[in-house]
Amino acid sequence: MGISKQRQQLLNRWAFILSIPLFFGGWEIISRSGMVNPVLFPPPTLVALALYKWATQGPLLVDIAMSLSRVLVGFISGAVAGILIGILTGRYQFIANLLTPVFQLLRPIPPIAFVPIVILWFGLSELGKWFLVFWGVFFTVWIAAHLGVQRVDKTLIRAAQCLGTPEQKMLPEVLLPGAMPYILVGLRTSVSISFYTLVAAELAGTFSGIAYRIDIAQQNLQVGQSLGGLIILGLISAMADKAFGVFSKKMVWWS
Amino acid sequence: MNPEIPLSTSTSPVAQPSRQYAAPIAGQSGHIAIDQIRIAFGTGKQSFLAVENFSLEIEPGEFVCLIGPSGCGKSTVLNSIAGFITPTQGTVSVDNRQIDGPGGDRGMVFQQPSLFPWKTVLGNVAHGPLMAGKSKAVAHGIAQDFLEMVGLANFKKHYPMMLSGGMQQRVAIARALANSPQVLLMDEPFGALDAQTRFMMQENLLKLWQDLKTTVVFVTHDIDEAIFLADRVVVMSANPGRILKDISIPLPRPRAIEILLDQKFATLKKDCFDLIRQESLLAFEQQKIGT
Repeated sequence: MGISKQRQQLLNRWAFILSIPLFFGGWEIISRSGMVNPVLFPPPTLVALALYKWATQGPLLVDIAMSLSRVLVGFISGAVAGILIGILTGRYQFIANLLTPVFQLLRPIPPIAFVPIVILWFGLSELGKWFLVFWGVFFTVWIAAHLGVQRVDKTLIRAAQCLGTPEQKMLPEVLLPGAMPYILVGLRTSVSISFYTLVAAELAGTFSGIAYRIDIAQQNLQVGQSLGGLIILGLISAMADKAFGVFSKKMVWWS
Repeated sequence: MNPEIPLSTSTSPVAQPSRQYAAPIAGQSGHIAIDQIRIAFGTGKQSFLAVENFSLEIEPGEFVCLIGPSGCGKSTVLNSIAGFITPTQGTVSVDNRQIDGPGGDRGMVFQQPSLFPWKTVLGNVAHGPLMAGKSKAVAHGIAQDFLEMVGLANFKKHYPMMLSGGMQQRVAIARALANSPQVLLMDEPFGALDAQTRFMMQENLLKLWQDLKTTVVFVTHDIDEAIFLADRVVVMSANPGRILKDISIPLPRPRAIEILLDQKFATLKKDCFDLIRQESLLAFEQQKIGT
């Protein structure tokens, strides 16, 4: 067509800048055009208003805090247990033989399928929520750490042995940092896993939390607040992923 | 001026009093005795005899090169001294202690530098002393001394991936020596380097060895390298690996690279070359028949 290269680059930049405004603009127009039921599909301005009310007159901050605490407790406990046990099964054949068959049996069970049992075991307490997120995170991190340890360069382990590294120091000095790139991939996957496990956990019965509020608002036909809750969930989970990217770079500072 | 200092001190620690830790090992340690070892891999029909009827004694402070065609088991022998491989028969001892696994008394330099990528150059060299229970300050002091000896003190804060292959290998040598091992095992350490760097590394290694008097067992397939470095060149043959000839190298020390042009060097090289060539041809014929 004969568009100059400069013009093309300019167009590309504007496409990026306008992506989100166009999305919300289109949504606003469609909602207000009469083509759809505005009660079920409210425009973004009304969603923003619902969010504002939730924040000023409702418990938005408490909901965010509760949801975040569930993700954090479940994620951190699942990650620590997964890394420790993964290093042990990756390094010692006996422990691997003892635990791997059981883990491979339990691993494919989706955490959401545990919800009914969890309610029986833990009632509506926080323990049940932590357990579900833990379940979602643990196996992913365990597999990553297990494979990571097995893929540590054998010569690196030999070099450490020739330098008189005792076996108990091998873990912190060689195996953990050597497996770290793999562990981080597992951890990053687990960040999103822990968010969708959270949704299942909160739908199963609780008294606060973002996903809980989405459910309650839906029952009251406050679709604006439901959609607002989805946006908050999306934002938090995207921010967690970004923060994790920064954390990853710090954890493998050498590459 | 000072009659107590012998002529060769231009490279001895006396000339560099600032080096507190990089001193020769006291006493006559580093004696290696390999007694009638046999090393086989696998079992049944799959089994492979890598080394048979192999005996070798190495005196403290000696520099011995193992040389031979590929597959002759020279690395296998080295790995049995390191303790990575246990012989099927026979024993390997260092200073009258039978080897039953790897340990800090036997330093090793591999073909690849194999540095810890997450540690700085200083952290890599300080690793051995730290594992030996030295304080951080002492370990860093030792590391500093050995990095000066390999000429890389200015790079101590760098990470390994920021260095060239030759520099990484110098760090690996400093790391192995910083542990004050009785024995230094080297498995084709300069094989991956370009020719110019290799010469420089060889001269540097001889200088370090003359300063520290560590026993060195050096595996290579490069005849020039073996003769240039060694007190003794042990030529091995393949299928199974055994000693073909143990040649002592009477060339004077300190040696400089010009010695490669010496007539005596050429004669020694021809001896080794003929032995290895015969062996290689034999192996080639055997492979053709399919034994």
